[in-house]
Amino acid sequence: MTPTLTTDRLTLRPPKASDHAAYAAFFADPEASHFYGGPLLPYQAWERLSADVGHFALKGFGRFVIERDGAPVGGCGILDVAGWPGHELTWWLLPAARGQGNAQEASRAVLAWAGDALGWRQVETHFRDENLAARRLTESLGGVKQRREIFPDGHARDIYAIPTRAEVTA
Amino acid sequence: MTALTDAPILKTDRLILRPPHLSDFDAFAAFYASPRAETLGGPFDRKEAWTEFAAAAGQWLLRGYGFWEITDRNSGANIGRAGIYHPDFWPEPELGWMIYGNSHEGRGIAQEAAIAARDGAARHCGITAPMSSIEAGNARSIALAERMGAHPDGEWETPYGPMLRFRHAKVAA
Repeated sequence: MTPTLTTDRLTLRPPKASDHAAYAAFFADPEASHFYGGPLLPYQAWERLSADVGHFALKGFGRFVIERDGAPVGGCGILDVAGWPGHELTWWLLPAARGQGNAQEASRAVLAWAGDALGWRQVETHFRDENLAARRLTESLGGVKQRREIFPDGHARDIYAIPTRAEVTA
Repeated sequence: MTALTDAPILKTDRLILRPPHLSDFDAFAAFYASPRAETLGGPFDRKEAWTEFAAAAGQWLLRGYGFWEITDRNSGANIGRAGIYHPDFWPEPELGWMIYGNSHEGRGIAQEAAIAARDGAARHCGITAPMSSIEAGNARSIALAERMGAHPDGEWETPYGPMLRFRHAKVAA
């Protein structure tokens, strides 16, 4: 059973069919979806949404949809995709929802859930060198670089570990 | 449906059709990496196969129906999958099937599984006369649809290209 997480401004809940418009809008935007395999056509966005639902069902964790003021504005969670090295804390936001601290607020909720519900001491994430926003966010969450790997797509990425709770780092 | 374990389980003389588990992924990915998957949108690399596999699992929760894994009743071996494909961009539920390896061909396994899935979809999911959407070059699947009593129902344009449509006989729910 997928939980629902709440923060001051956000609700994180499992994806549902009515989120298709938000997924399609995000993945149709070449700039917004550049680091996420986009742009994608609406039918491919439906596959991503369905895969996010299935990931939760198959693995017991996955990527939540972020709701703000009752509307989906993005996603945040932990994905562990076959054919890709390791799991990752991941987030995406519609352009209108950026620059307001939403990704950081959602990530903190996911990290706390990973610690409490999954029993994880840390969550890893990785990003392309030019994805400065991801690096800034990861470091703001207490992430520390662990190593660097060449990924199956040929791009080298830094892999960070983020403690799920601040006290664990002591 | 809130969990894959809520999905119905179907039994035939030789087979058990059950919802997917994470441990089924390797067989699925191996099939989709092979030339056998060419008429089913493949071949896929492992990452693409994961999206497809996870999306099919997600469909059970989004729609309440989906693909069953076909397993050998004696050995438990995963033979393939059969069930209902119905993403948002598909106009109606489709009855589909795939057999992962050719060692299972010629024994009527695909037909036994496809009939079980057709009847199970009617009984448990209220889908009583589904179509099957098949590439014109997939002679083996066309022959099976015809053996099951499905009749040709035109051609349609899918996001993956043109496909033939076959209509299955109505099964009582």
